Amino acid sequence: MRSRVVVAGIAALLAIGAAFVGNPEPHAGSNANIRALADEIEHESDHVTALELAEWIRQRRPDLRVIDVRSDSEYSAYHIPTAERIPLTMLAATKFDSRSTVVLYSEGGAHAAQGWVLLRTAGVRNVYFLRGGILDWMDDVMNPLTSSELTHYFGGTARTGAVPLPGGATQVVARMRRRSC
Amino acid sequence: MIAPFTDSSTLVAGIVGIGFGFALERAGLGSAPKLAGQFTLTDFTVFKVMFTAIVVAMLGAFWASRLGLLDLARVYVPETFLAPQLIGGAVFGAGFALAGLCPGTSCVSAATGRGDGLAVVLGFLAGVAGTASLLPILQSFYLSTPRGTLLLPDVLGVPYGVVVLAVVLAAGAGFAIAERIEARMARRTG
Repeated sequence: MRSRVVVAGIAALLAIGAAFVGNPEPHAGSNANIRALADEIEHESDHVTALELAEWIRQRRPDLRVIDVRSDSEYSAYHIPTAERIPLTMLAATKFDSRSTVVLYSEGGAHAAQGWVLLRTAGVRNVYFLRGGILDWMDDVMNPLTSSELTHYFGGTARTGAVPLPGGATQVVARMRRRSC
Repeated sequence: MIAPFTDSSTLVAGIVGIGFGFALERAGLGSAPKLAGQFTLTDFTVFKVMFTAIVVAMLGAFWASRLGLLDLARVYVPETFLAPQLIGGAVFGAGFALAGLCPGTSCVSAATGRGDGLAVVLGFLAGVAGTASLLPILQSFYLSTPRGTLLLPDVLGVPYGVVVLAVVLAAGAGFAIAERIEARMARRTG
């Protein structure tokens, strides 16, 4: 009888504690979590550059998931190799493996940064967004001023070159550039 | 994601399964007459063991996640298909009452050398094979009334922790009521 009372008491204490903390995710939604996110933003550990992402893709970094949050038509026109499209509205409901490294990108970076906040608040750990979005990807990887190994690897060409990008990407970038100016 | 057979999670699942079977046997749930007592309201061991397992797993998962030891995002939650699962639950309950064993306890019963346990194991394996062969016909019903992944905190609109407390309180109340019924039935039959 005594052991039953002890076990019931422990269960009750844990349950009351659970009701107080509310959420099983560590620090989710708490002030501590918001401060931690602010620190990550302040220390710029929330994003990667286009060259860093290109290197990760080339190295076939294990468990890397590149997420395109742009529209379906923009994704169809051109997307970063290995990227999958998940709209922002679906992002929070998407399950990410805890071992995954998630990189979000949008056109210029704003939507991806908002997606970063959504995922980090939801408790996903290794999340980054691509600084400068696909525009920086085009400028730094696909059409840099001077060609590099990465540019060749992804089938791009230096800006002085005349070789068109795969899938009509040159026109897509030109259109994006006009729109973003 | 269902873990592939080469994954170490299969080994872990095997160890957990053996532990679960051991706990069921220790609780006496390898015995069909004991389980049948649940349906005649004379023995609530099944209810108490299963509700205890739910409470232990729930508190363990909640606090392990809270302490950063468990990633709840990786815990598989089956999707809800309302009508087929209601019918499936009724069929399961009927089979449970008739056989006096459910799939888990029948394995325990068979493992301890009981003939009735082995018969139930063979019966449910035949049922699984029969259902699988009829699946093309049952497919539309099998996938009807989908509700996606339902979690009580989302359905009720309350924090996880409040649901945890409510389930623990319900378990405590359930145990108290079950023991009163057991005592009353014992007096009546004694």
